[in-house]
Amino acid sequence: METFFTTSDKIQHIIKSFNLTKTLFVSSIIIGEAHTGKKTLARYLFPDAFLVSGTDQDAVESALENYDELIISDFEKLPNPSQLNFDNKRIIATANYMGNASLIDALFAFIYMMPTLLERPEDVKYLKSQFVKEACSTLMIEEDKVDISTLPLNLSMNAKSLKKSLYIDLLKLSMGKKEIEDVMYQYLYKTLDGNDGYREHLGLFEKPLIQAGLDKFGSQLQLSQVLGINRNTLRKKIHEHDID
Amino acid sequence: MNTTLINFESFVEWDNNPFILFSNLGKILYLNNAAEILFGYVSQKELYDIAISYATQDYGYRSTTLALSYDTFSFHAITVGYESEDQISLRLYNTPRIQTNHKLQTNKFITTDINILLEANIALFKTKNTNPLSLLVDQDLPAFKIDQNNFSKLLRKVLDAFRSSDSIDISLKLLIGQYVMIEGKKEPLVQLNVLANGRYSDADHEIRALANISQIKCLLNEQSIRMEVPLIQ
Repeated sequence: METFFTTSDKIQHIIKSFNLTKTLFVSSIIIGEAHTGKKTLARYLFPDAFLVSGTDQDAVESALENYDELIISDFEKLPNPSQLNFDNKRIIATANYMGNASLIDALFAFIYMMPTLLERPEDVKYLKSQFVKEACSTLMIEEDKVDISTLPLNLSMNAKSLKKSLYIDLLKLSMGKKEIEDVMYQYLYKTLDGNDGYREHLGLFEKPLIQAGLDKFGSQLQLSQVLGINRNTLRKKIHEHDID
Repeated sequence: MNTTLINFESFVEWDNNPFILFSNLGKILYLNNAAEILFGYVSQKELYDIAISYATQDYGYRSTTLALSYDTFSFHAITVGYESEDQISLRLYNTPRIQTNHKLQTNKFITTDINILLEANIALFKTKNTNPLSLLVDQDLPAFKIDQNNFSKLLRKVLDAFRSSDSIDISLKLLIGQYVMIEGKKEPLVQLNVLANGRYSDADHEIRALANISQIKCLLNEQSIRMEVPLIQ
């Protein structure tokens, strides 16, 4: 069974309204950015409802004939939504955007707007800890060795980008010299070509080296000593790699 | 034909359209039955001011198309006339009730607890607004047959009209002694009243259309929306 965690007031009101209308034959739609949990919420509230995707008009029409309770995902992708008849049906639709506002207004009794993850900081905290737990288990990383607060949040695509960025960051943390060499090998094997390969790919090593050195030691003078290169050479490379 | 021999007073007295005769000081010299009831909802001064404003410059009669509404009364035109400096008359014409062609398919209606629909719509309203809201309902109202989807749409639009109001009072009660005929049957009425310090009127025509579908009488005022919903058993 799906679970749904939220501390957002807005979503609590959506859940309350859905719970009240659970036994009624009304049409509802949840509209919000992709990967904000619309479908998960619908599945959580209506676990027995038949699920159909709006990408297939025929499938939606036939589901409407056969079921009284229906979840229609990706409603915005339906080619002809005006043809649908929701009379005395319990419809829960989800859509990434409003599309034709007057049609949505005419078709649905309850129109809910799902807040983005950016508007739900408490939910982000919870999701982050869940994703980290999951990623640690998948990547076989000891969870207590991860400082979760240092992991950056990427909410550009809500839960999807958050999960992806956490996996990548944790994967990076788990890598040793050997894994880094393997990754470099794979990349170089794929991209190496032409007649200036050495110069073109040197940045792969130099840029992170100088960037990390500057972050760690602060001054160019100190870094040039640590790296054992001339200060002018270092300055030239900083300029070459466009490092701030 | 010599009309002076006929006494027209009783025709005016029992006319459904209100008729008032004012003195030049705004005192009522005569009013018919319909006007007597109307004065329960509008002040003498307001109607006198209307009469003065719409009178012709010289003696005579003038009819003006004018939308007026006082509580449940609504008028679409007035006639103002005077033949001397001492008296001025005002006649208001009732707006005809539009007979709905829409036939209620009550067999398709589902028995519903209206309180649940109302609560659900309030929860929806609260996802978008933070206005303080008070609710007074009659929990003993029996469940009745209604088009759940259409009525929910209507409630959404009604509440939406109050999206910027400071405080909203919602009350739901049975109208004692009032009935409506639906499919030849006498059905009681439930009154849903939403009141605030002001409201938007951008969706009024949609509210009227949705109310009409469910044969709900809808009164849209500046600060309130009142609906009379048939309690179909």
